[in-house]
Amino acid sequence: MRLALHRIRGSWLVGVAFLIPGMLLSPVITWAQTVPIAERLLLCGGCHNSDGNSAIPENPNLSGLDAEYIHRQLQDFRNGTRKSPAMSGIIPLVDEKEFEALAAFFSKQKPKPGGAVDAKLAAQGKEIYDEGIVGSAVPACSGCHNDDGSGTEKYPRIASQHSAYVIQQLMNFKSGERANDVRAVMRAVAKRMNEKEIRAVAEYVVTLKGAQE
Amino acid sequence: MKQAVAVFMILQLLPWQTASADMADAVKSTKGYGSKGYVWGKLLPEQVAVLKLNGDAVRGKEAFRGCRGCHRPDAAGVTDGTYPRLTGQHASVVIKQVTEVRAGVRVNPKMDPFAAEHAVSTQEIADIAVFLASAETTRENGKGDGDYQAEGKALYEKGRCSDCHGRRGEGNENKAYPAIAAQHYGYLKREMDYIQKGVRGNSHPDMVKAIKHYTHRDIEAMADYLSRMSDYRQSGAERNAK
Repeated sequence: MRLALHRIRGSWLVGVAFLIPGMLLSPVITWAQTVPIAERLLLCGGCHNSDGNSAIPENPNLSGLDAEYIHRQLQDFRNGTRKSPAMSGIIPLVDEKEFEALAAFFSKQKPKPGGAVDAKLAAQGKEIYDEGIVGSAVPACSGCHNDDGSGTEKYPRIASQHSAYVIQQLMNFKSGERANDVRAVMRAVAKRMNEKEIRAVAEYVVTLKGAQE
Repeated sequence: MKQAVAVFMILQLLPWQTASADMADAVKSTKGYGSKGYVWGKLLPEQVAVLKLNGDAVRGKEAFRGCRGCHRPDAAGVTDGTYPRLTGQHASVVIKQVTEVRAGVRVNPKMDPFAAEHAVSTQEIADIAVFLASAETTRENGKGDGDYQAEGKALYEKGRCSDCHGRRGEGNENKAYPAIAAQHYGYLKREMDYIQKGVRGNSHPDMVKAIKHYTHRDIEAMADYLSRMSDYRQSGAERNAK
């Protein structure tokens, strides 16, 4: 947030910058208008922080995620393929033309390391993450998302993601509420996991560092 | 004789109880072996399509990512045999198995979601097959106790298993007979068991016939022998001598 404000401070845009979100949020104007990214960050940054490292554990970090992945999620929120109480209120305010730039912006932000974890729980999670659960045919997370959680363009980065968010998403995949996994693989995997296993994996994910550049 | 039967029956019971996690796989296929109109090796439309494509090992390595969670990054599977070793498997075999799991000919609930159309494309199957054929691992496979080597060898060769799967367990690329040398003991045992019981959906009818009269101990002995064979690709000396 601070970053975005700093960039436009002193310019005549400052007034507009505060005006536009106000206009967009008013019930009169319900459809999106294209605005410059610095201004758009006032909206996105409210929940995800303007550097994509959200301070609220229920809201995902977007920093460092693959741009195509973010873009697809935005489209899925727009067309209802992915549902979220928070995003369903926000997404109609954003013009589809902005999706690409927003995705590119958050993708380029530097991810922050995850916070403190319950070491015992994280160790249980590491076992599942690296080896899977052979007895119940849960594949190792590392198979697709890499040992370090860096992911690829097909499988999103999950390193240092908030555990609360990861738990929620895995539970949503498990119940089928979230069904926008392109290959339908996450639903299959999450269905084979119980909540205890999901919590353990989510705890470990927080500690992952992603690709070291 | 009565004693032997009793021992056989007890042995028969044990693995079925311990292998409960795999019971889901032991479901008779409605499209496969034992169903009306099942012909082993009759090409499915998708198999015709895959065979027309050129596989690429580099692309295959990336596409294999979706398989690594179970078959492991080196494609060596899990040594207890839950997941088979795929390194060096013939491309034709990989194509046959993936497409037949996907078509429901071979029932495999564990693998189903990962073999489905939206998870792996027809081109990716061709790519993965080429990648696996040349994949190598440094990890040891899961082996039997080694107690029944001679017995296993005799059963394998005299039972004419080697007619198709080869004396070195090398299989046959052209006929899509799998290489079985140095496969995990647990996997060999389980699949032979399924084939005997008629629940491996894409079984070759000749193999079901050949394995029919084998006891559970016979199967264990053969699994033991096969699991202790060296990787067929590493026995070049024997190949040249032939």
